[in-house]
Amino acid sequence: MSYPGKVEAVSGPLEHSTRQRAPYGRTGDRSPFRQVYDGPTYYGRNTVKPSPFDWKIALYIFLGGLSGAAEIIATVADFDGNPALEDTVRQGRYLALVGTLAGPPLLIAGLHTPSRWYNMLRIFRGTSPMSIGSWILTAFGGFAVATAAAQGGLDTTNPVRWPRLRRILRGSARVLQVPAALAGAGMSVYTAGLMAATSTPLWAAAPRLLAARFAAAAMAAASAALSLGARRHHRIAAAERLEDLTALAAATELVMARASNEVYRQRGVDTALHEPQFRLFYSGGAELIGTAVPLALYVANRVTRHPSNRLAWAGGLAVMAGSAALRLSMMYAGNESARHPEPYLAATQSERTSP
Amino acid sequence: MTVHARARDYPQSEFEGPIPNESELTAGSRIVPGRSYGFFTDTTRCIGCKACETACKQWNALPADNMALTGDSYDNTGALSASTWRHVAFIEKIGTGADRATEMPPYQSNWLMMSDVCKHCHNAPCLEACPTGALFRTEFDTVVVQQDICNGCGYCVPACPFGVVDLSEVDGKAHKCTLCYDRLKGGLEPACAKACPTDSIQFGEVEHLQRAAEQRVADLHQRGVPNAYLYGTPGAPGATGDLGHLNAFFLLTERPEVYNLPPAPTRASNRTLPSLISGLATVASLAAAAALLLGGRPGR
Ligand code: SF4
Repeated sequence: MSYPGKVEAVSGPLEHSTRQRAPYGRTGDRSPFRQVYDGPTYYGRNTVKPSPFDWKIALYIFLGGLSGAAEIIATVADFDGNPALEDTVRQGRYLALVGTLAGPPLLIAGLHTPSRWYNMLRIFRGTSPMSIGSWILTAFGGFAVATAAAQGGLDTTNPVRWPRLRRILRGSARVLQVPAALAGAGMSVYTAGLMAATSTPLWAAAPRLLAARFAAAAMAAASAALSLGARRHHRIAAAERLEDLTALAAATELVMARASNEVYRQRGVDTALHEPQFRLFYSGGAELIGTAVPLALYVANRVTRHPSNRLAWAGGLAVMAGSAALRLSMMYAGNESARHPEPYLAATQSERTSP
Repeated sequence: MTVHARARDYPQSEFEGPIPNESELTAGSRIVPGRSYGFFTDTTRCIGCKACETACKQWNALPADNMALTGDSYDNTGALSASTWRHVAFIEKIGTGADRATEMPPYQSNWLMMSDVCKHCHNAPCLEACPTGALFRTEFDTVVVQQDICNGCGYCVPACPFGVVDLSEVDGKAHKCTLCYDRLKGGLEPACAKACPTDSIQFGEVEHLQRAAEQRVADLHQRGVPNAYLYGTPGAPGATGDLGHLNAFFLLTERPEVYNLPPAPTRASNRTLPSLISGLATVASLAAAAALLLGGRPGR
């Protein structure tokens, strides 16, 4: 596109608008399928509007995923009945409170008429991930708080004096954690659906991959946080198992990240990701620090005869930082992709199914 | 346009109140709840006078915005926004340098003008995204934001495939064209269509408009404008990706992108289910892996 914004005479039949673009796009581009938009724009003005969402929503997406996945891991560990993981069950139930307590204030602060936050619970709309999510958050909040309260009772009552009460508390926590974990699964993925079900080119390009990626990032962050919790209490055996889980989730995330990057490139919606700040947060933060580096650290720790506590801490912290960076960079890079006409016009040249 | 027979009943120049079913006289269409209404915007008739923009601002009491020159032809409005619900786009197809046009084809010479507006989509992504129910479908099959319910979450803004709906920084609510919901209730033609001096903007029942539009395209083809086509009628560009038809549709003579319209927009909510299922499947697989990794013999 060239300034001044006068459109070159582009007459001719409409078919021109829906043809596939030249096979080879920008310099250095090897993919024969890449769609690059080189047609006219309206004075370079954006065609769709960017979302008004900012770091508050991105932080919520991170914390919500972390909490939801923590509840899932705690529940799985509780049913596994491994005594080495009893402490992890406890920590997971408390960690689930983070998203529950921090989520609503962050979301309400993100509204432009915050005093009307309760209208979020006025209806249920199955086509709106925002509506679905409001109810998931409500359900998760209720069950996670109840589970954590039962756990709190267990942690503060004397086993000798209150044996019956403690049996009831343990039983209630065991029952309540199931709906909490199910809602927790929703917490880790609905935010990806929320981004995908928009006309923002970067978010809409790969709905399935984005959700798989967010799910893996949530599981990785929660299991990393719990592994660090285990290390703090010197429960190395538990920590190592959680680190294996973290590594698996991070590897899943890495695969999904690679696959989605390829889709973004082919559809011509990846331009924002190449800007310096997103390179830093997306490629550097989410991908490198969030998945590749911790994977290397965990593998190094597993193959040596003297696993290093420090390496494990570095790995866990890197996974959590990367998980947050993924949400932040997707949020801002998505908004950026909507501020220019080219990504959207490239993506809407013809109808096709998205991966 | 022919004058309606009822026009004889109102010879005076001043009125006590609105004429009952006034739209019948001004647009040839009586407004009946339960039917589908919309706009047919014929860009070959647009002279770029911006009467529609002005009438819209006046009737809807919308504040002025962008009080500056953009340098983009005669378009100093720029885009649709929370306070601009009609926007006249100006495109100069004159070329530069050696490509500068020396001949003018019929109709609008080398100047394209198009009055853009909310499309009142049949499957409206903004409405489908709205978590509060503030966005709803009216009895006239139009899409309207209820200002007393909207809490300014802003999710409709990225949902719209045409970049129409917008949040107001002033009151923190989403705003867009209501297709003059209040006027329709009172039997009046929407302000922009009534003000349009060339009938570039036509108001009426969608089906009638679609038929008239097809006729117009056929006419134009005959008169030597082979590029004329409809955007937003069933099966046409713009009515793609499960959006259904657009209640406010257009007659264009250039590629949609020239007017800042997407050639093949899609229905955003269709991505909800695939996304959620894929995410939940990933969580389930990782939870199953967790059960294997965390269970079993204590210690290692
Ligand atoms: S054009 Fe945008 S704002 Fe208008 S009905 Fe369609 S989705 Fe909603």
